[in-house]
Order: sequence, then C-alpha cells, then structure tokens
Amino acid sequence: MPTSNPTLAEEHRLTFRGLHRRFGRLRVLQGISGEVTRGQILLVTGGNGSGKSTLLRCLAGLMRPQKGTIECVVDDVDLDVEERRRAVGFLSPAVELYGELSTAENLDFFARLRGLAPERGRQLLQSVGLPPDRAASVLSSGMTQRLRWCWALLHSPRILLLDEPLQNLDDAGARDVLGLLDAALENAAAVVANPGPLDLPRPHERLDLGDGFLVQELRAQTNEEPRSA
Amino acid sequence: MMSWLGETWAILSKEWRCELRSRYALSTVLLFAITTLIAVSISVGPAGATPEQRPLMPVLLWLILLFAATAGLPRTFVHEEETHTADPLRLAARPSCLFCGKTLYNLTLLLVLEAVVTPLFLVLLQVEVADLWSFAIALLVGGVGLAVGSTLIAAMVAQARARGPLFAVLAFPILLPLLKLVIDASFVAVAGEAQSPALGLAVLYDSMVTVASLMLFPVVWNP
Amino acid sequence: MTIKQKTFRWLLFVWLAATIWAAFFYAPLSQGFAGKMGDAPQSSRIVFFHVPLAVASFFAFLVAAAWSGVYLWKRRSIDDHRAVAAIEVGMLYCVLATVTGAVWSKVQWGAYWNWDPRQSSIVLALLYYGAYLSLRGAVEDSEVRARLSAVYAVLGFVVAPFLFFILPRMASFSLHPTPGSAEMDREIGLVVVAAIAGFTALFCWIASLRRRVLDLNAEAG
Repeated sequence: MPTSNPTLAEEHRLTFRGLHRRFGRLRVLQGISGEVTRGQILLVTGGNGSGKSTLLRCLAGLMRPQKGTIECVVDDVDLDVEERRRAVGFLSPAVELYGELSTAENLDFFARLRGLAPERGRQLLQSVGLPPDRAASVLSSGMTQRLRWCWALLHSPRILLLDEPLQNLDDAGARDVLGLLDAALENAAAVVANPGPLDLPRPHERLDLGDGFLVQELRAQTNEEPRSA
Repeated sequence: MMSWLGETWAILSKEWRCELRSRYALSTVLLFAITTLIAVSISVGPAGATPEQRPLMPVLLWLILLFAATAGLPRTFVHEEETHTADPLRLAARPSCLFCGKTLYNLTLLLVLEAVVTPLFLVLLQVEVADLWSFAIALLVGGVGLAVGSTLIAAMVAQARARGPLFAVLAFPILLPLLKLVIDASFVAVAGEAQSPALGLAVLYDSMVTVASLMLFPVVWNP
Repeated sequence: MTIKQKTFRWLLFVWLAATIWAAFFYAPLSQGFAGKMGDAPQSSRIVFFHVPLAVASFFAFLVAAAWSGVYLWKRRSIDDHRAVAAIEVGMLYCVLATVTGAVWSKVQWGAYWNWDPRQSSIVLALLYYGAYLSLRGAVEDSEVRARLSAVYAVLGFVVAPFLFFILPRMASFSLHPTPGSAEMDREIGLVVVAAIAGFTALFCWIASLRRRVLDLNAEAG
C-alpha cells in the first residue's frame, strides 16, 4: 500500500459496530460493523434499499442510529458527533448546492464557513474542469456530480464518505474524480457506497449489505429475526 | 470569536445574496403586507380611523406584520430542505452561527417590511403617533421576538410535512404573548400615555425566547 | 398487574368517590358566589371539579415539558411516550376545564364566554396542545418526531409564564378570583385540595396507561 510512512503519520480511522436503524417497521440496518483506516477504502455494496445511503448518513452524523457505536479518529484525536459532522467529506446524490449561486460562489461560501481561503475551491473546480462562473442551477447532472466532488473535498477531509461516487459521470469525469480520490487517500480513509463493484484506484475491502428491503420486509412479516426494541 | 462572527456573517450574506437574486421572500412578504394593508384601508374608509377606532389600529398593524411574516419567514429553512442544501449546511456550519445568521436575515427582512408598511399604514389610516421613539422601539422589540421565534419554528417545520399551514399552527401559540405585549406597547406609544410594563415584558419575552432558541436549535437542526 | 398498581387503583377509586361525595354533601355552599340571586347557588359546587381539572391540566403541561427535557437529554423513546401521554390526557383535562368553566360562567355571569384573561389563557393552551399534536402528525420518522415535539414542549414551557401569569395579571378586569385573595371556607378549601390531589392522581393513572399503549405500538412497529 502506497501510504507515506505509517509509523510517523497521524492516524485517521472510522470504526462502526453493530449499527441498527429502522424506519417504522422497516429495518434497514441490522447490526452492521466495519472499519477503515488511513489509505484504505471500504466498499459498501448492495441492492436498492439495502441501506447503503442510510449507513453513510449515520456515519456522517446526519442520522442517529438506534443502536451501535461509531468511532471517528482524525489526526489521532477521537471526535464526537459534532466534530465528526464537520470533519467528514460527504458525497451523495442527495446533496445539492445553491442554485442561485455560481459554482465558485458556492465553494467560497462553504470555504468561509470553514475558515478556508477561496483559492482551494478554484483549484478543485479547475481539476474537474468546471467553469467558476456558471450558476449551479444550470449545470448538467454530470457537472453537478463534479461540483459535489469539489464540495466534498473542499476542506481536505481525512474521512471520506462517498455515496455512488461515479453517478452520471462520463469516462473523463470518472477518471478525474478517481484521480482526486487517489491523491486524497494519501492522507485519508474512505467509505464508498455503490450498488455493484467499482474499479477503484486502490485495493479495498468489501462490505455487502444484501438484497434490500423487499427481502427484509418479508422477513419482518414472518417475524423471523429478533426485535430491536 | 472572530471565526464565529465570520461564519455568522457568511451565512447572513449568503441569505441576502440568494434573496436578492430570487427576490422570493421580499416580494412575497411585501406584497402580502401591502395587499392586506390596502384591504384594511379600504374597509376603514377614506376618512381614516375615527377616535373610537384608534385603539384598534396597533392591533391591525401587528396582525398585518404577523401574517406577512408567516408568509415569508419559514422559507429560510423550508427552502434549504426542499432544495437539499440543508445537509451541506449541517456538515459545514456550526449550529449557533447558522441560527444567528438565519435569525439576523429574518430580522433584517422584517425590519425592511416594517420600514415599508408602518409609514404607509400610518398615512393611509391617518393615525398620529404621539411618541414616535417608543413606537419605533416597540416595532424593533416585536421584530426581534418574531424573527427569533419564527426562525426556530421554521427549522422545525422544515423537517415535517404540510409545512405552510403547520408553521402558522406552531408559531401562533408561541408568538401570541409577544404580540399582545407589543400591541399594548404600540398602543401606549400612539396614545402618548405614561409608562406601561408591556415594553419591558416584551424585552423579557425576547430574551427568554432567544436563550431558549439558542439552546434548542442544535437539537432541532441535528439528528 | 402488580400488587402496587392494584392498590393504587383502589386507593384512587375510594379517594375520588369520597371527594365527590364530599363535594356534594360535606362542603358548604360558597358565600363568595352569592351573586344577584341572593343565595349562594348550588352551581358553585362546580368549583370542586373545574378548579382541579384546570390545575391538573397545568400540571400535565409541566410533566410533559419535563419528560420532553429528559428525552432530549437521554433520547429514550419511553420518555417521549411519557410526554405525549401527558399532553394527550392534559388536553382532555383542558377541554373539560374549559367546558365546565363555560357552563359555570353561563350560570353565574350569564354568558358562556367573555374573554376573561384566564379564558384567553386556556384557549391558547388548547391551541398549543393542538399544535403539539399536529406537529407529531406531520413527521414520519419516529426519531425526528420525538425530537421536534420535545423541543416544542420545552419551548412552550418557556413561554408558559407569560401565558398563565403575566398576561392575566396585566388585564384590567377578571371574573376569576386571584388565587389566595378569595375568601373561602375551610371545608371548601379542604375539598378543593383533596379534589386536586385526586384528579392529578387520576391523570397520572390514565397517562401511564396511555404510555403503555404507545410503548407497545412502537414495539410492534
């Protein structure tokens, strides 16, 4: 693994154990565990409704799991959920930026929230080939996905949570963003969610969540598994 | 502290920048208020308010302001949830900065509304205010309370269904005590009467609701 | 059902039965309500039901705010259920207090409703309860629902002093006596206090039953 000297480098690690999350009767996550550390990728796969996005939202601190623990270590410091939320780089089809603002203005705004200089945003826009003055509302779906990547990487996060990272991207776009991912992984850990296997730039572990809610719902109807009350 | 102020300022200026480009909230709130004002003015008649009607004038003014606010203020958070920009904000902004930035935006919006509607109201209904300073302070104190309460409730409503009607349902029981107090205070100012406890109590209401909202907002905003 | 619950139920039954008996046959008629008609009317006995219901509904509101605070602190769904149960039963009490008050007002003062400051407060309280319940109805996810409604209950608690104490005091007139100022026979006071205790205990019992229903529903999904 091409990590720079792992004994000297600060540790970045995301560990989750026994995560449970259900929506009403629908049990989406049932005791999911995993771990990813610096330079590594954990690929989460599974059909539609298998809980990939729910898992990533829980890891990002956008949703509270009903059971289970999440441990996030960045630069050797154990983060609480508040800090974790601001630390992770989160990419998801459910994330949108402000349509009234241009691509650069959007990134500027988030850079100011995080106390960063605006140059970083311009650099990222350039590296994915996005014009800085285009309003976010008129971007095509593939360009929107590139903008999401810029937003997710803006604060050089040490923990990356990437939900369907290549959605809507053409070959050139996929190559660009995977290059960014590879560079970021020098100093970060990533959890990637995708319906199927992905051609990722680094060797990775795979966590399969199964078939999705149809099967789970059938199981719930027959009361096969123990209740998580 | 500086970074906290910078973050709050970033949110306030983002709100105004987006608002000035879409002009949605401003036009809704102002048109709503002016339409209601014209309806009231026509109903009262060309002679303006008679001496017997005068005590009712602060009531009408505040009702116009309240309903106009109800039409525009919830948008701050509802729009974020509807356009899926709420999650990026959750991940990037500190809740206290976000709340203060949004509240300041709503407050400035309300002050613009008050600055446009109140003079029109006083002129059209021919109401003379005896104590202009007290009247202005009552408008400011009422505006602060409305802005703080509405911002918190907007954040709650944004996460529910049936957002429009729900905002009014949730906000009124919370805002009505304030409304009663500022109506009393405005009435005292219009009539030029001696001191009344209403304005002081309205300030007390504002500070209690502000402290409570600052404490409750992180819970509303984050899971 | 445990022995403790059984004993509580029986004690409550006996206590309420005794209080109701006392309200009609032990307490004298209140001379404070001898109005235009001269004699103190039998209708003044409604004080033994109206006042306890109003007090208990205020208590319910405090209980709901307290459990909501506990929920926000510990995030256990049982505390959320406790708060909802308190609000639901409190709303029932509030409606009954409003109705008994309106009936009494008709008999005593000639009109069902006259926007007495306490009547305004109770209407706002009803609006507030209704708002709480419609908020719950409008949120799908049980976690979000519990969180938002708990915040609303706590917010209501912050505003409540204005609703119940400050605004009624500011009004220039009131048909209601200020607590402590009205002259009251010792026997009447005794029965009122007993009824307040009884109705509050009844509230606790009904609310705990409701809470158990909510627990079971949540468990079943």
